[in-house]
Amino acid sequence: MVEVRSTNPAPPSGRERHLILHNDIGQIPQLAEFMETIASESGMDEGVAMSLNLALEEAVTNVILYAYPEGSDGLVDIEAVIREDRLDFLISDSGKPFDPTAASSPDLTLGVMDRPIGGLGIYLVMSIMDSVSYERKNDKNILSMTKKL
Amino acid sequence: MEVKITQSEGTMTATLSGRLDTPASVEVSRDIQPLLDHADGTIVLDCTDMSYISSSGLRIFLTVRKAAAAKGGRVVIKGLSSEIRQVFMMTGFLQLFEIE
Repeated sequence: MVEVRSTNPAPPSGRERHLILHNDIGQIPQLAEFMETIASESGMDEGVAMSLNLALEEAVTNVILYAYPEGSDGLVDIEAVIREDRLDFLISDSGKPFDPTAASSPDLTLGVMDRPIGGLGIYLVMSIMDSVSYERKNDKNILSMTKKL
Repeated sequence: MEVKITQSEGTMTATLSGRLDTPASVEVSRDIQPLLDHADGTIVLDCTDMSYISSSGLRIFLTVRKAAAAKGGRVVIKGLSSEIRQVFMMTGFLQLFEIE
């Protein structure tokens, strides 16, 4: 579960927080709790915390829904490093190779009938975070996301 | 997440309370059938007590909006918080809805 400590400010090397979820969509609410801990430790604005919760949920939901074959158990590892001026998330899984940063951006100018249902999750991640990068290493997908605070 | 649907004259109002995250959206997508059936009239989505939305929640909003567009109805969104309004703005959803 989420560990809470209140030693401020964050050391230059950063303070790490860690959460491991199974590929079960029912575990998504744990991200909100995780984000709440991070927000209280870094003293960030409520609006920023909500948007980071959203980016985290979209990235993790993508892994939960698509990384592993249906019916098989798999893990998503979420690491947060809180620094004074920025927050880094590292999301990794051992599922099939998938680079979310390669997804094409949705056309936001389309009218109601032409708008596809879906395809906004990764776009939200890219819009909210200051930088997002993907690598495949040791048979793992690793998504690194940074937000300047 | 709680959805309460009420009807008064030609208007059907769905009041959404709580967090519309991915698992909640799975539940809510089952609750919105009355809205889809009423898509030729006026639908009000009252978001005053909705504290969070993810893309799966946006999907529900768009599903209702598409049904109304197909049947000639209206969808009015009320009570968006500034944080959720920001999500609507990022995704171009502000242009798709009547927002009060």
